Amino acid sequence: MDQQSTISWLVKCGLSAAAFMIACGIATAWVGSGLPLPATTTRDGTLITLNRYVQEDVPDVVLVGSSLTFRLNEEYFATPRLRNLALAGGSPITGLEVVLAQPRLPKVVLVETNVMSRPPDDAVIARYGRGQNVEPRFLRPIRMAVAAYENRVHAPLTHAQVMAAMDGLLKQPPRDFDNSIYLRRAISESDEDPTIAARANVERLAVLMQKAQQLGVRVKLFQLPLPKEIEATRMVEITRRIVHGRFADPTLWLGIDVDANELRWLDGVHLDERSAMLVTRSIDKALGQIL
Amino acid sequence: MTFASWQFGVFACGVLVLYYLPPVRAYQVQLLVAASLVFYGYGQPELLPLLAVAVLGTYLFLLLALRNRALWLPLGIGFNLALLAFFKYKFLFLGTQPAPTGQPLVDFLLRLPLPIGISFFVFHNISLLVDMTKKEAPSCDLRGVFLYIIFFPQLVAGPITRAQMFMPQIAPKYLSDVPFVDATRWILVGFFFKLFVANNLNEMTSHMDFPLYEALQTQDRWLLVFLYSYQIYADFFGYSGIAIGLALLFGYRLPINFDLPYIAISFSEFWTRWHMSLSNWLRTYLYIPLGGNRRGTVRTYLNLIIVMGLGGLWHGAGLSYLLWGLLHGAFLALERPLLPLLQSIDSIWFRAARIGVVFLCVSMLWIFFKLPNFDHALSYLAGMFRAGTNPNPTKLFYNLALIYSLPVIIQHLGIHRLLQTRLRVLEPYLYGAMAALAYLEAGPETAFIYFQF
Repeated sequence: MDQQSTISWLVKCGLSAAAFMIACGIATAWVGSGLPLPATTTRDGTLITLNRYVQEDVPDVVLVGSSLTFRLNEEYFATPRLRNLALAGGSPITGLEVVLAQPRLPKVVLVETNVMSRPPDDAVIARYGRGQNVEPRFLRPIRMAVAAYENRVHAPLTHAQVMAAMDGLLKQPPRDFDNSIYLRRAISESDEDPTIAARANVERLAVLMQKAQQLGVRVKLFQLPLPKEIEATRMVEITRRIVHGRFADPTLWLGIDVDANELRWLDGVHLDERSAMLVTRSIDKALGQIL
Repeated sequence: MTFASWQFGVFACGVLVLYYLPPVRAYQVQLLVAASLVFYGYGQPELLPLLAVAVLGTYLFLLLALRNRALWLPLGIGFNLALLAFFKYKFLFLGTQPAPTGQPLVDFLLRLPLPIGISFFVFHNISLLVDMTKKEAPSCDLRGVFLYIIFFPQLVAGPITRAQMFMPQIAPKYLSDVPFVDATRWILVGFFFKLFVANNLNEMTSHMDFPLYEALQTQDRWLLVFLYSYQIYADFFGYSGIAIGLALLFGYRLPINFDLPYIAISFSEFWTRWHMSLSNWLRTYLYIPLGGNRRGTVRTYLNLIIVMGLGGLWHGAGLSYLLWGLLHGAFLALERPLLPLLQSIDSIWFRAARIGVVFLCVSMLWIFFKLPNFDHALSYLAGMFRAGTNPNPTKLFYNLALIYSLPVIIQHLGIHRLLQTRLRVLEPYLYGAMAALAYLEAGPETAFIYFQF
């Protein structure tokens, strides 16, 4: 290939790449990138959750926590204007930091304290913590197309449809599933001493709770029920002792009153759908008393 | 420093500009050696002395073998194999946390992680010792030896270049000789396959890991096996493409490593299309010295199984890798007497069926790559043949799976050959679109799979 052809080839290649990028940039400015893209990893899911939170109206109630709370779908709650900002694989402090950094704040924040040994995600806090527009400059054309298709073919259920499905499911007995392989793994993973990390995170949580109080936001703590084998592990026992030692005042806590015999955990720690619904009903009831 | 990082982009551009400055022309080899040391030492400088020991030791053995090949060549090969064995297989015997011996130097060595690319540069060293001590071999100096072994585009994951192919290329290079379009094609297609195909498929195939695979439906276990097959190809083909393109920019031609492996109609053909530089190396330096096919039928089969078994162990110290290699060897041995009969059947459908069988078997064996823990691999395999019981199975997006696999499928169907006809005029635009897609739709960053070997 002679020099002129080489330059011509490279210029065409560069121009076509640039044109593609500009088209995506214009499309982003035109349609935005708010369409929920299919999440295939927890990190993906985290960004989708946070993007939605900073783009939409401020709710009255926000839940923050780990993947345990992530399973409590917003559709299960009867309480209106409630958002679940729990991050799978994350720390409740990440969500609380993001919530308190926004220009407009909710009335109540519910903080799950089961998992206090994970460090907050500072990258996520920095990205969402300034209340800035976090829209990407370019949309992802293929993911966006797939998202549009999925939203069209599998449109999300309405609240009434979800409520009807919930009623049907709650009338049935709990569904048993052999989760022993997961339970064994969860028990072995929970055989660690979380003292150092948990103490640091609990102190940071205390500071954030004080800040929330100054900003006029009520913060309530809660702990989700776990199987008795997990409750007996070192990590859970020590975490509970540290959290309750630091936040001993019972008025700080939101009581969750569910018959433990009715609960099931798919993988040893995460509630199954029916159990999550039972827990959300209990949270609804407790929220009714404080809202 | 990985190829897909911005740091590497800055590094490569800087070295390239310096490389072709007229005052530097006399020192091009030294510049590339220095750049390769920076590349290798970036993030893991403690491993640079090991690299120096490997290169200088090999050079010493090379000088000695030039005087007495019969004595020093085996010792030089032994020195390199000992390096590989120590760093790669020590964990097999000592565990991942070796107990302290009380000797600071020994403890330091035992605690060193697996040096990136050791399997590749050890193979380069052996090739150097064998090729350069032959009577007709070109002469080489220390600079050339250093460059051949640590040339940064191929240092950590190949292609494994034979010394007799690389050494004659060491000469002053001129900007006007650089095939920019070829280099750009290789680099763009490499990044596209890595960022768009492999990294996105990796998101899905991460569900093959233990214990996540327990939540998969049976049909999804099958799907993920094929997706992993595409992913590992895209990942390694992508790396090789970037390496070949980068080398072209510096005036060196590296061997092509892949030739549409998933259209192979036999296992022997598969190994002439997959990781071709490794296959060539194993054939030249292991299979033929073992006697190849010259010592009777039984010995030929045995040689095939031994070579493939050792090839499996080269990838990693584990039962899964060994079994992967042995099974490939067994397939090669089993098909060998049948090949004349199979090739005598001239039917497009039969040919398609053979492609399907080879692809299925190769894909199933990749499970041992994805899950190096042998129990996990067997458990995954068992789950492919029974109904799943998890009431809340993982949801996979089949449309995304198809879209991200499509480039591999299109490439293997030969549709890209249209670009060699009247559609050639569209070629630069297509490459431009691939570049944009690689940026816009890049999956989450993951290391190249072959870096671990």
